[in-house]
Amino acid sequence: MKTELQGFGLGLRTDHYRDFIDASPRVDWLEVISENYLVPGGKPLYFLDRIRRDYPMVMHGVSLSIGGTDPFDADYLKQLKALVDRIQPAWISDHLCWTGTESLNLHDLLPMPYTHAALRHLTARLQQVQDYLGRPLLMENVSSYVTYPSDEMSEWEFIAELAMCSGCDLLLDVNNVYVSSVNHGFDPHVFIDAMPAQHVRQIHLAGHEDHGSYIIDTHDHPVSDAVWDLYAHTIRRLGMVPTMIERDDNIPPLAELITELDAARRLAEQTLAAKERAA
Amino acid sequence: MNAIPELQHQFQDAVLAGTLVPVLATGHFEIYVNAYRGRLAEALRDNYPVLYRAMGDHAFSQLACSYVAEHPSRFRSIRWFGDDLTAFAEAHPDLLPHPALADLARMDWALRGAFDAADSDTLSAADVATIAVEKWPGQCFVLQAAVRLITLQWNVEPIWQALNQDENAATDAPQALQHSLLVWRREFECHWRSLDAREATALLVIADGGTFAEVCESLDEDANPAQTAAMYLRQWIEHGLLEKIL
Repeated sequence: MKTELQGFGLGLRTDHYRDFIDASPRVDWLEVISENYLVPGGKPLYFLDRIRRDYPMVMHGVSLSIGGTDPFDADYLKQLKALVDRIQPAWISDHLCWTGTESLNLHDLLPMPYTHAALRHLTARLQQVQDYLGRPLLMENVSSYVTYPSDEMSEWEFIAELAMCSGCDLLLDVNNVYVSSVNHGFDPHVFIDAMPAQHVRQIHLAGHEDHGSYIIDTHDHPVSDAVWDLYAHTIRRLGMVPTMIERDDNIPPLAELITELDAARRLAEQTLAAKERAA
Repeated sequence: MNAIPELQHQFQDAVLAGTLVPVLATGHFEIYVNAYRGRLAEALRDNYPVLYRAMGDHAFSQLACSYVAEHPSRFRSIRWFGDDLTAFAEAHPDLLPHPALADLARMDWALRGAFDAADSDTLSAADVATIAVEKWPGQCFVLQAAVRLITLQWNVEPIWQALNQDENAATDAPQALQHSLLVWRREFECHWRSLDAREATALLVIADGGTFAEVCESLDEDANPAQTAAMYLRQWIEHGLLEKIL
């Protein structure tokens, strides 16, 4: 059964805890970084519970390492499941990546090789986690800065195939698509067009840092014009999908992020209205 | 050969070694190499905020780089990274401009641990009043999960306090003074205070699961151990250090 969650959300950050409690700003839902709340107690869990009373939430992890080759960390999965039970998120997501091997964690979202062996590996691992958590996982495409000579297909073919094989749903990060398209020289529209619409449950928008010949996914700037354009293309292609803005650094006042979120809302609505008129 | 484990092994080794151009991938591999060091150093700054202020950017970065090089993270969450920084710094005095900085690190880490330690009930004076007189000698108490009792070699608390309030605060040189520091959390606020040796010894007895009689025994040099133990107990209850009676 698919839990319905609609509209436009933000990532919950500590700087904004008080704003969400005191002002109940108009944000349809919040995404929380799972690892920030895998702690024994104190302020983080207090604010999480308090804000959960007023806002629907989704959980977003950064260290599952679904593409890793170590066995899953049983303690981590147990804690993740306890957090799921605690806040009852509409869904849980993590990244289509690996984060380390041989029991180490590089605390980064490292790209998979786009091979048939990797597809089989991920499908089996997704099944294992989804069985344990008792619910589907959404997989997010990451920004990448390298490609592997062993790649047998494009990233978009790989992701579409994974969704088909494993039945997992997708968190489509439009900024990451753009970042990788510049870094690897592909057309980001081709990537978006290859996404299986029925599997895309959530969209991320974020800012990045432009270094000229390459882009780094920093989440510390407003969404760029190029990413807005790609978002409009995405909405034209996929229809309305729950969308949020991720800001992890250089965090502005909440009002500023809400203004940016309202721009996303307007753009999505205008894009769909224009599509209907043209039909 | 299983290609995925081998690829990940090589990738990780190259990141850890700081190899900028590995043969297994094409593109800007250096972004991963730099991001790894930057991210873990940032985690150390977050976990040791006052130590960072006291050392300044340059000296702290040198300490952080050396620590990261020798302590790859085994944590799922980066929040726990840096658990061994104090011992590492003490073992590398060349990275520590002053030995008292290790005590600032201890204090930072203890407060960081108290911040998100497990929530506990708080024992009240009314709860203690229910203890029957004959049960007092054998009575045990449980400390709250957030309580930390650490030993410091220097009187770094004034420095910690000044730098915590103002990163540019002028501070006096610390004096050598072995003592205990108590860290705890009340509701969601972390607190600390230094303890004299007697109170620290008595509190350690409680922490180790000792009885009230054993607390009194630990105060045998005191003129009236039972009275002093009762006074400490009252104070610990007032400060919310105790979770329950056993």
